[in-house]
Amino acid sequence: MFEKRDEQLVSKAQEGDKKAWFMLIKRYEQAIYHYGIRMTGNTHDAADLMQDIFISVFKSLASYRGDGAFKGWLFKIAHYRCMEFYRRKRPQQSLDECVEQVAEDVTPEFGLLSDELSKQVVVAMQNLSVAQKAVVELKFFHHFTFEEIAQQLGLSANTVKSRLYSALSKLKLDLEVDNA
Amino acid sequence: MHNPEYESLITAWLDGQLSAEQRQRFEQLCLEDEAFAQQVETANQFSLAAEQFEKMPVPAWNKDSTWFAHHTKAPWWQLQWIPLASMAMSVAAMVMVLSGFHVQVNDGQMTLGFDRGPDEKQINQLVAKRLDEYKESNQLLLTQYMDAVAKQQQESGAQLTQYLLSSSRQERREDFAELVKFINQQRSDDQRFYARQINNLEQEIDAIGTTYSGLGRPLETSHE
Repeated sequence: MFEKRDEQLVSKAQEGDKKAWFMLIKRYEQAIYHYGIRMTGNTHDAADLMQDIFISVFKSLASYRGDGAFKGWLFKIAHYRCMEFYRRKRPQQSLDECVEQVAEDVTPEFGLLSDELSKQVVVAMQNLSVAQKAVVELKFFHHFTFEEIAQQLGLSANTVKSRLYSALSKLKLDLEVDNA
Repeated sequence: MHNPEYESLITAWLDGQLSAEQRQRFEQLCLEDEAFAQQVETANQFSLAAEQFEKMPVPAWNKDSTWFAHHTKAPWWQLQWIPLASMAMSVAAMVMVLSGFHVQVNDGQMTLGFDRGPDEKQINQLVAKRLDEYKESNQLLLTQYMDAVAKQQQESGAQLTQYLLSSSRQERREDFAELVKFINQQRSDDQRFYARQINNLEQEIDAIGTTYSGLGRPLETSHE
């Protein structure tokens, strides 16, 4: 049986079809949950962020015009909610500087991840600033182009490229340390 | 260290947009520059790690909390098209009123149209009405004019009569004065004439008396 396209499900959800909305959630909840884990560094915050993101998406559903891919629109909202999450968590700190405390947050939570490489990825990402994490997440895990990422984050493509390049330097160090 | 060329090459490579020239440079740097090669290796590793990222099951969560009543299907009287249709009808009604839209039924035929002026019958009636008004106003003006002319003539006649009367009276007075003057002059002339006659006569008488007195006889008048 053919799967319905995102736009068809969105259209039905806009008309009040609860089933279509739940189908959309089912289609993207894992991607958003993993996004939450990598962005926040722990599963509790990831679950909260996921719920927050889907509530926000539902509230904004009426404004979705189908101009671009639904996935891009969804991750744009996810990014805004994630920034909001960090602002609430650390209101005094700039998002460019905000770095998770790896040792405190990651260790107990990632017992849930059985794959060592996945654990290393999450740990490595927690050493990045939130702004760098967002770029790495969208580039490596969702395969958006730099132009698309720039559009989603409301930045210039050059800024996005610089952020990724500087993030790679940090990731390199961490992976080296992890591999050592 | 930040190197714009490295950044540009790596990001183009990640987007799969390396040109032939860039690809050549990219491969060259991978072989020659350890730092650049390390960056590429990291990106590669991370890209692979991302693809192999463990699919963690999503914990049970309350999906119903994301569904709000405002997206449920509204009953037909709350649908969005009703106020729109209502507004459209109002606009149409205003247009019909302003443009003089009318429905006419004549001999079983219904005509819909916009008011573009009166028909022929109405035009005739309007023309006749205007003509009557024009006539009435003309008659009124003419009457007023004639009254004014008659009045003016009457006044002029009275003035002329008055003038004639006064002028003829003056003339007669002057004529009489002339006549009296003439008569008086005539009488004066007559008196002088008679006086001269009398004088002459007296002188003749005196002359005759003198003649007779020389003869010693009383004067006898020859008039006997």
